[in-house]
Amino acid sequence: MEGEIMNNVEAARLIAKGLTSLSMFGSGIGEGYLIGKALEAIGRNPDQTGSIFSKMIIGVAMAESTAIYALVMFFII
Amino acid sequence: MGFLQIGGDIPKVEPDIIFTVFSFPISNTFLGITLVLLMVLSFSYFVVRKFSITPRNHTQTVVEMVYVGMEDLLEQVAGRRDVAVFLAPVILGMFVFIGVANLLSLIPIFNTVTYDGVAIFRTPTADFNTTFAMALVMILFIQMQSIVKGGFFQYLGKFFQFHEVYKGFKKSMGDGFMAIINFLIGLLDIISEGARVVSLSLRLFGNIYAGEVLVVILLGAFAYALPSVWISLSILFGVVQAVVFGALSAAYYSISMPPPDGEAAS
Repeated sequence: MEGEIMNNVEAARLIAKGLTSLSMFGSGIGEGYLIGKALEAIGRNPDQTGSIFSKMIIGVAMAESTAIYALVMFFII
Repeated sequence: MGFLQIGGDIPKVEPDIIFTVFSFPISNTFLGITLVLLMVLSFSYFVVRKFSITPRNHTQTVVEMVYVGMEDLLEQVAGRRDVAVFLAPVILGMFVFIGVANLLSLIPIFNTVTYDGVAIFRTPTADFNTTFAMALVMILFIQMQSIVKGGFFQYLGKFFQFHEVYKGFKKSMGDGFMAIINFLIGLLDIISEGARVVSLSLRLFGNIYAGEVLVVILLGAFAYALPSVWISLSILFGVVQAVVFGALSAAYYSISMPPPDGEAAS
C-alpha cells in the first residue's frame, strides 16, 4: 500500500514535469515571430541594423524568460 | 555507463555550505563571488590605473570600447544622453560582474575543484540568492532615484492617482470612468514593481543554471562533440544575459523617472 502511494506521487510528479515543458511551445512561436519581424525591418532599412538588432536581442531574451520560468519550475518539481 | 556516456551529478538548486565563521555560513557561491570581485578589482587596480590620455596599449582601447558601447546601448534604451551617462557606471558594474561570472563558469577548472567532496567555487549567477539580491538592489536604486528626482508625493501619485480621478470627473462623466480604470492600473503597478524583481532575477538564474544542468545531461547522453556545441552557445548566452540585465534595468529606470521639465509643462 505504502509503495503504491509513492508510485502514484512519482507518476504525478513526472506528469507535472511534462506539463511545465509544454509552455516552451509558446515562447518558441513568440521568438520566431519577433526575429522574423526584426529581419523584415532590417530588410526595409538596412541603415538601422545595429539599433534594431540590439533591441531584438533584448526582446528575444524577454520572450525567452517564459520558457526559463518553466525550466526552473521543471527542476524544482 | 557506456563508452559514450560520462555520468555526473546534476547541480543542486541551493548552494553548499563549506564552513562557518562565527555561526555565519560561508557557501561556495560566496567564495565564487569573492573570486570574481578580486579578479575585477585587481584588473582595475593594476591595469586601468595605468591608463593615460594618449593610449599606449590595446587594453585601454578595448576597455574604452566597452564603456562607450555600453553608453550607446543605454542611450538607445533610455532615449536620452544624460540618463545614459548617469547610469553607465552602475549598469556597467553589474554587466562586468555578471559577464565575468558567467564566462568563468565555462572554464572547466572552476566548478571541479572540490574540498570534502563539495565544490569550492560555484558560479555566482547560478545561485538564486545572488541574482535576487542584485535585482532587488537595482529596483530599490531605481525607486530611490525616482523619489529623489520627482519628490515623494509625485512618487506616491504615480501609484495612487486620486488627482487624475478628480480632474476626470470635473471634465465629464466618461473621462471620470476612464480615470477610475487608470487608478486601478496604477494600483497594479505596485505589484508589477515586485514582479520586476522576480523576473529580472529568475531570467538570469534560469539561463545560467539551466545551462549547467544541460551540460551534465548532454554529457550523460552523448559525451563527444555534442556538449561542445552547447558550451560554445553558452558563451553567447552568458554575454547576452549580462547585456539584457543592464538594458532592462535602464528601461525600468527610464519608465519610472518623472518626465523632464520641458514635457511636463506642455
